[in-house]
Amino acid sequence: MSRVIGGFGISHTPSMGMEYDKGMAQGFDPRWQKWFDGTRRLKQWLDETKPDKMVIVYNDHLNHFDFDAYPTIAIGVAPEFRQADEGWGPRPFPSLVGDVDLGWYMTNKLVRGGYDLTVCQDLAIDHGIYSWLPYVMDTPWDTPIVPIAINMVRHPIPTSERLHGLGKAIRAALEDDGSNDRIAVVSTGGMSHQISGARFGIANETLDEWFLSKIGNDFSELIDLPQEELMRLGGTEAAELALWFSMRGALSDNISEVYRYYTFPAITGCGVIVFDDHAV
Amino acid sequence: MSNSVPFNLDPPGTYIYDGPASTRGYKLTKFGLSLRNPENRKTFLADEAGYMTEFGLSEDEIAMVRARDWTGLIKAGGHLQSMLKVAATVGENLWHIGAHNAGMSAEELQALCPRKVTALPGGDD
Ligand SMILES: [Fe+2]
Repeated sequence: MSRVIGGFGISHTPSMGMEYDKGMAQGFDPRWQKWFDGTRRLKQWLDETKPDKMVIVYNDHLNHFDFDAYPTIAIGVAPEFRQADEGWGPRPFPSLVGDVDLGWYMTNKLVRGGYDLTVCQDLAIDHGIYSWLPYVMDTPWDTPIVPIAINMVRHPIPTSERLHGLGKAIRAALEDDGSNDRIAVVSTGGMSHQISGARFGIANETLDEWFLSKIGNDFSELIDLPQEELMRLGGTEAAELALWFSMRGALSDNISEVYRYYTFPAITGCGVIVFDDHAV
Repeated sequence: MSNSVPFNLDPPGTYIYDGPASTRGYKLTKFGLSLRNPENRKTFLADEAGYMTEFGLSEDEIAMVRARDWTGLIKAGGHLQSMLKVAATVGENLWHIGAHNAGMSAEELQALCPRKVTALPGGDD
């Protein structure tokens, strides 16, 4: 069986990606230097643990899908995933490497297990993954990934309970896949932020740090929370925090926290939390 | 220019994007997403109104795009992520949309952000 060696939750935002490119070219803005420094420990964790593959639960921001058909839960099954053009043109990064065998395997397991996925054999990926990946992994990005995209752009979005269950189903599928791969499960979603309406720019650092303090061992308290509470207190896009429950669901109870970091550069709370999973 | 951020999800503080908004703004959102394609961006910039007419937008919708009335467009059901592609194409960005929504200039909004609030579930707001 494959083994889930750990996982991490991490924020994403378009500016995180743009500031990386600027930072590398001419030095980081001080606010983003903090985030760059804060992500060094995760990069080190990935360098040391060298997962064979990563399952990444993220959300698209109308950069691949559109409302002709917007899947509530979708999986990417393709040898590679190109970068989406979000309107400013693509950034200078390679496509992501997919894992077709694992993708089909997980599709079978998850659909038979009650998660009716939309299967995408062509999937362009936006800042949901491209904004943070350069901070934590050197190119070429040759670690194969299986991306799972969750609707976060139009309500109704999946419940927190359901996303936690998806994580559990991901773990069950991986444990049964007949290989010896060491796999990291990742969730990525913005923390507190709101990018439309007069509440634009809301920043609830207290809420975000509280969330980080609970996601390890007290996550059930977070899952029980109505998503509207996260949105009311942290901004509408704080609902993306519900994505982090999939990462947590894919980990066992036998975890230890490796590292946690949090800062608020501009519009979005930027947090990262990393866990080792010790269950065999 | 006020920095009070209400703890509720009502307009004009918040416009929840749901099914009815998606229906209302279906054409607007589709038009904005067409600008993910660089060729379409060029075509649009060469003749904004003509391009939008082909997408079946109403006169009101076209006027709002031409006026960069981001708040009106969001109320009309244009999804923020789609309107952001329109902004990118015309040389504006998220700050311009947010500032229009918040009733201030982009510079004022940038100076105000992050708009820090402190509250936890179950606490006094
Ligand atoms: Fe997001």
